[in-house]
Amino acid sequence: MSEPLSLLLVDDEDGLRRVLSLSLADRGWRVRAAASGEEALALFRAEPAPVVVTDIKMPGMDGLALLRAVKELDPDCEVVLITGHGDIDLAIQGIKLDAADFVTKPIRDETLDIALSRARERRGMRRAIREHTEHLERLVESKTRELLAAERLAAVGQTVAGLSHSIKNMASGLEGSLFLLRQGLDGDRKAYLEQGFEMLETNVRRLKDLSLDMLRFAKPEDIRRVPADPAEPARQVTALLAARARDQGVELALELPGAPGTGWTLPLDVEALHRSLLNLVGNALDACRAAGYGPPPEGRSGGRVTLAVAPSPEGGVVYTVADNGSGMPESVRQKLFTPFYSTKGEGGSGLGLLTTRQVVAAHGGSIDVATQEHAGSVFTVIIPAQYENKLL
Amino acid sequence: MAIGGASGPTRGLGPGRVLVVDDEMHLRLFIKAVFESAGYETATARDGEEGLEKARAFKPDLVSLDLMMPNQGGVRFLTGLRADPELCATKVLVVSAIEGATFNHSLALLSAGPGPAPAPPDGYVEKPPTAQRLLSEAQRILAQGAA
Repeated sequence: MSEPLSLLLVDDEDGLRRVLSLSLADRGWRVRAAASGEEALALFRAEPAPVVVTDIKMPGMDGLALLRAVKELDPDCEVVLITGHGDIDLAIQGIKLDAADFVTKPIRDETLDIALSRARERRGMRRAIREHTEHLERLVESKTRELLAAERLAAVGQTVAGLSHSIKNMASGLEGSLFLLRQGLDGDRKAYLEQGFEMLETNVRRLKDLSLDMLRFAKPEDIRRVPADPAEPARQVTALLAARARDQGVELALELPGAPGTGWTLPLDVEALHRSLLNLVGNALDACRAAGYGPPPEGRSGGRVTLAVAPSPEGGVVYTVADNGSGMPESVRQKLFTPFYSTKGEGGSGLGLLTTRQVVAAHGGSIDVATQEHAGSVFTVIIPAQYENKLL
Repeated sequence: MAIGGASGPTRGLGPGRVLVVDDEMHLRLFIKAVFESAGYETATARDGEEGLEKARAFKPDLVSLDLMMPNQGGVRFLTGLRADPELCATKVLVVSAIEGATFNHSLALLSAGPGPAPAPPDGYVEKPPTAQRLLSEAQRILAQGAA
């Protein structure tokens, strides 16, 4: 109904045309009038009309010819035919040519109203179907992409190769820590004991992280959304990683541009989002380290990671994690969400971003990345206010 | 080698000198500790480039090498080592996460590549290495050299 009421009226009888024009204008229509099929077509070409009301019987180009011509120019245009007494066969022909309706002379206002509202309904339906089809196409496209990702997971060779590298590194680390601890104890060598313990600690943590990531990945947790401050998980993550950023000589900033402040709530699973943001900010810090930012004297200064929280125009929330670290070449960006794909060698399970995406998807949201090699990356997570039950 | 003069590796009383080249810190520490505990003199390097520098200064009898370091570091190191007249006789023990069969295949590919192929490594231990495997393989290789 948002469309302005606009129509093109075509009749060769001056009197009828004038009366109908006045009557339609009185009921809110913007009316352009033409005295012949040819004139109407010229007007239509100059500015298409959503609805055309035309007499069938006219000298020269008649109503049916005009109907055909108009439909050829704009299949979405709705045409209402005006028929004389006994012209029912012509009217039927018109309907076969996709006219919306026909009204019989003498024209009664109510009959014309019904015909015109039918015409507008048809337009609305047509548009809804088109939008729906486009949406379906998008949905199919995104599901196809997810299916391809699932197939990649099934590509056992690749999966096991990625995973086995992590596992072998951890096994080496555990083997090494046992050796160092045993040697340290036997020979009472403090340096071995300290190294062995540090190595054990690190590898136990890696083992734990990988196992939990795999569990979460194999069986995504239920997301429980309760009204919460969208800035809260961001504050927690910034506080949690502040020390690590400082040790790395990287500036970590939390930005809340345009956040409504106290009282801003959205239905969110704060804990799951906390984990996701922790993953993204952790990645950003890793990218800064990979770019050579670090504490003096060896490290470069100027490394910067920003976590921003802002309301989205649709009423949801946008989290942005930006860094000026190493960035990614296109080949890496394409594989970002591939299971067990990691650029971090010993340090990554290749599941972190994947579980992050699952959490975001379970909120009905989306995650996107813009990146440039040697310049940095920006991850954007959009969580809508309304929960849409997306097909998973 | 056994009759090394002033220019040869300075031999202590221990079984020899080992240079550990690995990009992963924990592996470096572990392998270094294994050889140290068995009486070897050790040095470490984080990548192929540093490995070559250390090899020139340290003159090891044996290099424990991670072949799969970033940027083909391991392969470059091996090529560089074999090309250096002072170092070309140094024994190389490869410690790698790739399996034996795959490793042999990659060696075959290496020798099929452009340029002179480096002589293959003298021994191979798959990750995760154990102290026992490392030491027995090192002993075997160094004994070969002395023979």
